[in-house]
Amino acid sequence: MIKRLFLLIHLSCRNVSRNRYRSIYALATIATGALGLFIFMGFNRGLMNQYRANAIRARWANGQLCTLGYRSATWERPWEKWIQSPEATMLEVRRLPGVRDVFPRITVNAMLVSHGTTLAGQGDAINGVAEARFFTQLNYVSGGDFQDASGSVVLGQGLAHGLGVRVGDKLELLTRDVNGVMQKANVTVSGIFHTGSQEFDSRSFRMPLKLAQKLLGTERVETISVALSDVDAWPAFAEAARQLPQFEAASFDELDEVYYRHAVDWLDAQFGFIRSVILLVVFLAIFNVVSMTVMERTQEIATLRANGESRLEIAAGHILEAAVLGLVGGFFGVVAGWALTVGPLAKGIAMPPAPGITRSFRILIELASRDAVQVLALCSVIAIAGCLLPVWRAIRIPIAAALHHA
Amino acid sequence: MNLYEAHNLSRRYDQSGHPVPALRGLSLYISQGEFVAIAGPSGSGKTTFLNLLGLLDFPDEGSLRFEDQDTAGLNEHQRTWIRRKRIGFIFQSLNLIPVLTSYENIEYFLLKRKVQRNEIRKRVTEALASVGLADKAGQRANTLSGGERQRVAIARTLVRSVDVVLADEPTASLDQATAHAIVDLMKRLNRERGIAFIFSTHDPGILAAAERVIRLADGRLV
Repeated sequence: MIKRLFLLIHLSCRNVSRNRYRSIYALATIATGALGLFIFMGFNRGLMNQYRANAIRARWANGQLCTLGYRSATWERPWEKWIQSPEATMLEVRRLPGVRDVFPRITVNAMLVSHGTTLAGQGDAINGVAEARFFTQLNYVSGGDFQDASGSVVLGQGLAHGLGVRVGDKLELLTRDVNGVMQKANVTVSGIFHTGSQEFDSRSFRMPLKLAQKLLGTERVETISVALSDVDAWPAFAEAARQLPQFEAASFDELDEVYYRHAVDWLDAQFGFIRSVILLVVFLAIFNVVSMTVMERTQEIATLRANGESRLEIAAGHILEAAVLGLVGGFFGVVAGWALTVGPLAKGIAMPPAPGITRSFRILIELASRDAVQVLALCSVIAIAGCLLPVWRAIRIPIAAALHHA
Repeated sequence: MNLYEAHNLSRRYDQSGHPVPALRGLSLYISQGEFVAIAGPSGSGKTTFLNLLGLLDFPDEGSLRFEDQDTAGLNEHQRTWIRRKRIGFIFQSLNLIPVLTSYENIEYFLLKRKVQRNEIRKRVTEALASVGLADKAGQRANTLSGGERQRVAIARTLVRSVDVVLADEPTASLDQATAHAIVDLMKRLNRERGIAFIFSTHDPGILAAAERVIRLADGRLV
């Protein structure tokens, strides 16, 4: 049985080399498809990773911790549900697996007033020194982090533009404290940033946590953002976070469902469609080549059947041959894809701004071994699918008629 | 026991919607171990008759028995099994898988049987030697001459220990000397191993070697 299988594989390889030009054409078609697919998967991964890095490193970290039930409801007096002892909680969170850093935060809704213009904004009150270490994708158009300056803020590009302020300008920040009393602070703009998200940049600002707590009249924090040492460590962290029953953890893609999750889903659907088109083109090319090959070998098939080969055995031989074609062609495509990625495309592909994004960026093509395996498997499956109909037709021809097939 | 019994065997082909008879009521017997030639001009029904004997085709009328078994009652699997175990074929051309060597072409049909590897090697080597091609074992079929290919096809029937070899114009594309060498080989194997040979030919020189000649014209025995 094994010996026969080897002979069948051997025969398949020989048959692939039988008509050199046709085989080269078939292999080139499959290799081109595999190359396109492999690069495309790498591009897709690079884009998704860039999106993810942008979401994590510009805004959310890997996820957040808040008190149990806080996120799922709207509260009349939300600060009563905030984390009571931030320092002690942060100490506990730091002990959980994979945690690199923690950042206490409060969301502040405020009016920002400058030169007679008043705009509503939503700010993150943060620890400037700690966050500057992690949030590296908050790109500053001018100025920079406020670090430990207690009277400074950084503004999103759109918000700064709306207020007509520059770095160094002063503005008033108005918000209500926990008792509903309006509080005011005079702050200086220390930086203007953009995250790439137009919608976010036109309403967002960042201010020192201490200043926010003072204005709001509370020592509590709303959330604790968690930075992990590895982006894939979230499930383990979330599992471990159950040790803190009074809190709940949410990953960045849950927090940013509308922008990040939907963008990823939308891109996935689009990429899936393009992938299908590539596979269809490869399928049609294979179908064409295999049809010609099988038709040419109709007499040979009849001779084999006359000598006692069953239809199934003959079909198996052709299917194996198609699989060999698919694998070899796929292999060449994967190698070519890898060569392109370490060569001409090593610096990635320059992309124009995506929908809702204000800046252009470069997408690195990130190849993965599992993509290579997937491409090889797909090429084989497509090649096999492409050969099924012609082979089925050929083995259905009566032997006597097939023997005299021109 | 007769190897074949044909009764009133008829076969028609459809040509542009018109039935064209290829065999008309053929009745005959062929015994085990016979060396039979089928003669007749082109279109006389020789190939059609061989196709029916080889279970490659179905008669429209009449019956054909293979060793007392009515072939009409055989399903596809049973017909394949008989072809594999009992019947050998030699065609005018395209007998072999062109990309395999002479050795592999013969070996291929033994591998699905439960035969030890050593035994396969021995039988293939002996078969090639008996047709005078021991030195061509490693040569690809598409590089062999016409006569050599026919001999490999004969060797292939030898290793399978078939009861009957059906040969459709096996010498048609060969020169006279090679054709006679092939027929001599067939004759020797028939004599030594008792394998029945049923072959069609136009060649009167080849016909002379047959024990019996079945002559056909317009699908009828003459």
